[in-house]
Amino acid sequence: MQRPAPAKFELLVRRDGDEDFELRQVPSVIGYLNSRPRRLDQESYEISELRSRLAVAPGFILKNKTTDRFLLLSAQERFLWDQMDGSTSLQEIATAYVLKYGEFDFEIIPSLLHKLQRAQLLTFEPTSRLRAALARNRGRMIVKAIELALTGLERIRISSHNVQSFFQALYRYGGFLVFTPVAAIACAVLAVLGAAAAFVLFHDVHDMLEGFGGHALRGILTVKLVFFASVALHQFVHGLACIHYRRRVREFGFTFLHGFVPTFYIDVTDIFMASRRARVITAVTGALVHLVLGAVAFIVAAKAPTGSFTQAFAAASGIIQWQALVVALYPFCFIEMDGYHVLVDVLGVPTLKHDAIAYMKGLLSGAGRMRQGREEVLWIAYVVLSTLSVAAFIAFNVWIIFSATH
Amino acid sequence: MQASAETLAFLHDVRVFEAFADPDLVALTERLRERDLRRRQILFREGDRGDEMFIVRRGTILISKAVTGKVEQVLVRVEPFDFFGEMSLFDGSPRSATAQAETDVELLVLGRDSLQAMTETAPRAAAAFFYAMVQVFMERLRRSTQQVAEATRWGLEATGLDVEAR
Repeated sequence: MQRPAPAKFELLVRRDGDEDFELRQVPSVIGYLNSRPRRLDQESYEISELRSRLAVAPGFILKNKTTDRFLLLSAQERFLWDQMDGSTSLQEIATAYVLKYGEFDFEIIPSLLHKLQRAQLLTFEPTSRLRAALARNRGRMIVKAIELALTGLERIRISSHNVQSFFQALYRYGGFLVFTPVAAIACAVLAVLGAAAAFVLFHDVHDMLEGFGGHALRGILTVKLVFFASVALHQFVHGLACIHYRRRVREFGFTFLHGFVPTFYIDVTDIFMASRRARVITAVTGALVHLVLGAVAFIVAAKAPTGSFTQAFAAASGIIQWQALVVALYPFCFIEMDGYHVLVDVLGVPTLKHDAIAYMKGLLSGAGRMRQGREEVLWIAYVVLSTLSVAAFIAFNVWIIFSATH
Repeated sequence: MQASAETLAFLHDVRVFEAFADPDLVALTERLRERDLRRRQILFREGDRGDEMFIVRRGTILISKAVTGKVEQVLVRVEPFDFFGEMSLFDGSPRSATAQAETDVELLVLGRDSLQAMTETAPRAAAAFFYAMVQVFMERLRRSTQQVAEATRWGLEATGLDVEAR
């Protein structure tokens, strides 16, 4: 019998204007990809490696301690099981699998989910931990207010799924130039000139930021707002890179990440079907937007009259753009930005952050034991470097604001 | 409204009036009102009071039901020769869904008073109307049942729940 097409809902999503709306087709597969399977609590199961002289590949035995049911897992299934922490979506799990094994078996995830569900080893977590914690404490007025605010912000999502033709046209009418050797050389030259200009400028940050006329804080906030527009440009370049490698851009939009971080986003997951080089270039070129804009801003600031508003605005823009470049490309900051994705891709450890935090948590709480393997060194290095980097980043920003206001 | 040849020809093709004799159709036409909606204009909202049904003459009406927040599920698109809003016509209950123009729309409006008058002055036509209406209700009930099954299938597919193996 022929399998029916996936079920889908047609939803009408109202916009701010009362009569304005957008129609969205939501196939069940979207719900499936966004679901977050959660394995049982650690106390409720036991897992051990199956040792056999005959078996070539390692196997694992998973036991549900409550029902006394046993499951035999392959190494790949064990990897997937480790990802099912209730906060990782199936789409992210599938991506991690591709990065780890370099291929994708379309049956492995559904069949493992069925096995785990039958053994009552799995639940599905529909919301984030923050939202779960808020829901538990809904009785308190302030918590309820936060929950309502987050819900409201999370609903703000402006996006389009029909962007492939737009990005193809953008690429055809000039976007392709970004991926030429000339563009790479221009980028490098701009970076050098920008760095030189920044070096000259930073001899006296105070004089430079006086151009804001005693309203430095307000000036910096305005610069941040202008910076926000460059985030869209960053995403556009990711999209162009995806087209450059003949892959599909699935979605572009604006939303509030976790309910409070305004951001533009682009779905270029199709690039995982291309080579590692393509993935790395797609990740890096988006961030290079900040390198170019920052360099231009520093050059403008260096040429502008000392103490003028133009100089202050351009210098502050340059700082923020280059900070964004660092945040995007520097992998050790607990945020899974472009640089992090390049690092885990190159190292072949897609769950680096997750594993590193879990390991360190175990060590700090006394629940885990110190081990001396290559992975453990990597985990410790990741957490230590990230902690130091975040502290340095905060200190640098405090110093900038302090310099500008005193 | 005026019973023009064009209007009569249109009403002849509307399911609930197709068994009407010409004089009954002319009498009915005189009791109908015309109403135009611009694109995206809301005709009525879920929960509004109402005692009229609407026949779509041109354009498309979206019927949607609130799901959560600003999200509504599209139940059906009503296209020319089809009608909607008949539940409130009969029982005066609040509107069970929202009706909004997807395109520019021309409607014909049949009010409860007009239906009452038709029942008294043209009982044969009224009987044909009610008989056709019952058939339409049954079809819509079947469609609703199908939608419930589809919603269940959506949920099963979205969660990957393996019910057969349980």
